[in-house]
Amino acid sequence: MHAFILAGGFATRLWPLTEKRAKPLLPLAGLPILTHIVEKIPLHIPVTVSTNAAFKNGFLEWKETIDRPSLQIMIEPTFADDKKLGTNGAIAQWLRDEKITDDVLLLTGDNYLGFSIENFIASYTGNPLLAAYDIGDKHEARKFGTVILSDDGRSVAAFEEKPAEAKTTLVSTGCYIVPASSFAMLDAYAKTHPDFIGGIFEEFLRMKTRVDCFRFEECWFDIGSFETYLNATKKLVGDHLLLGDGAEMVSSMREGSVVIGQNSKVDQSTITDTVIFDDCEIVDCVLERCVIDSGCSLKGIDLTGKMIRAGTILRSLTR
Amino acid sequence: MRSKVLLAAWLLSDIIIFIGAYALAYFLRVGFIFSSDFPFDRYLLTALMTSPLWLIVMSTTRTFFLTHNQRTLRNGSYIAYAGAVGISIFTLLYYFEFTAFFSRMLLLEALIIQIALTWVWHIGYDKFRRMKLRSFPPAFPTLLVGVTRETAALIRHLDRRRSALVPVAILENKGTKEKEIEGVPVLGKLNKLEEVLKTHKITHLIQCSDLEQSINLLSACRKEGITYMLLPSVLGIVERDEHIESLEGWPVTAVHPKGSVAQRFFA
Repeated sequence: MHAFILAGGFATRLWPLTEKRAKPLLPLAGLPILTHIVEKIPLHIPVTVSTNAAFKNGFLEWKETIDRPSLQIMIEPTFADDKKLGTNGAIAQWLRDEKITDDVLLLTGDNYLGFSIENFIASYTGNPLLAAYDIGDKHEARKFGTVILSDDGRSVAAFEEKPAEAKTTLVSTGCYIVPASSFAMLDAYAKTHPDFIGGIFEEFLRMKTRVDCFRFEECWFDIGSFETYLNATKKLVGDHLLLGDGAEMVSSMREGSVVIGQNSKVDQSTITDTVIFDDCEIVDCVLERCVIDSGCSLKGIDLTGKMIRAGTILRSLTR
Repeated sequence: MRSKVLLAAWLLSDIIIFIGAYALAYFLRVGFIFSSDFPFDRYLLTALMTSPLWLIVMSTTRTFFLTHNQRTLRNGSYIAYAGAVGISIFTLLYYFEFTAFFSRMLLLEALIIQIALTWVWHIGYDKFRRMKLRSFPPAFPTLLVGVTRETAALIRHLDRRRSALVPVAILENKGTKEKEIEGVPVLGKLNKLEEVLKTHKITHLIQCSDLEQSINLLSACRKEGITYMLLPSVLGIVERDEHIESLEGWPVTAVHPKGSVAQRFFA
């Protein structure tokens, strides 16, 4: 088996955090989302991460931090969202270019998976396989690919990508196995449908190919927006303070989940459910549900529900 | 560079106009001769000494600002105010330098001529300056953020007024199907901000929506040395009756209840 992680999105909803960094490289509870994913993949499986030229350097730097010889970064030579190959297009091209003959473990780089990928692989029987999670809300389910199971509780009866009206609360979570025997079908499908990876599974079902479902109850986060990013942090960190190397928080109050990145300093401030990236200086501030990107210097500011761009300097002269 | 040359020429021409206006008043009052009772060289020397001081007073009225409209009554009153200060300085300088008084009518005529000539010249020169600054490539390429009807109205307004700020691109955070607004291309979402600021050499950014991103847009502008502007409509102020005021030295955007003309000045 070969793992292929899709990490080429431009993540415009998370601007400005994704201005110079791909979404999979966003730190989540102290580690890049991508690191969380890769660490779950069994060591004997080679991993290829697909991204685009705009984020090339960030991925190459990240690769240096991962102790995994079989890790490769595949750079799609595009700099803009509207010029991308698309997820299916990128997979099909990689299969062709690298002449892949193993089954493929497909993962999306912005999904945090709480379950064991080893168990997921162990449940694979040779049919296309997807991991599904009961989100518990049909309205929420409309944002994802929904999965309707057959009576056997294992095979998929129907798959709908972002339906207008969800018939189920079971949703696909960006974790799949595509058997090598289905590559031709995937290649043909990608030519007409370059985007929406879940569409491949709709196509499998249309072509009467059995698709299996791995249902799990551990946590899962699709990091697509500011709210989901903060909620995921809250779930993973809990009511704690997570301090990076060289970080310190002095003469300050903390409530809820607070993450402070490497070499950041918080002084005389009140911080609630907030993530502060590396090399920041926060003095005399009240921050609630904020994400402060690297290298910011904030003094005497009250902020609620804000994502602050890297390198921002805000100093209130009125305090 | 273009704008600096045009500004320097404007300041220089204003000094010439100022001195010229005073000289014209002299000849109109004294006659087209050099009087020995009231020597022209003393008079001219004093006007010359007054002119830079008058120009400083003019500058404090922001009349040379890019965004300033020269045709308004407010601008006319600013020029009149600077003229009045100028004539006062002239009188004092002349008295202190030469310990002598002269015709009060001459002072009055010099004041009126100087104000009239300066205002007319400002209107004419501003039109010329705008034309030069707007010619391709525009000296002040402006980025608009947000696609709203207010954005379209602003583009039309800037074009109608032949503003020196020329919108060259629009970014929209929430995504839009529009490819262009009033001929200005919509280049994508805010993830392209840095690229657009650099490739289009943006000098001004006007935020027309997406209030939640104001800190980040301002941060980008500060970093890149770009002037940041915010439409009051982003704050929900759409009746054009807001004012930036000082509340005990603290700048605030104020919207007062509609009232009489007197209230506008004394509220």
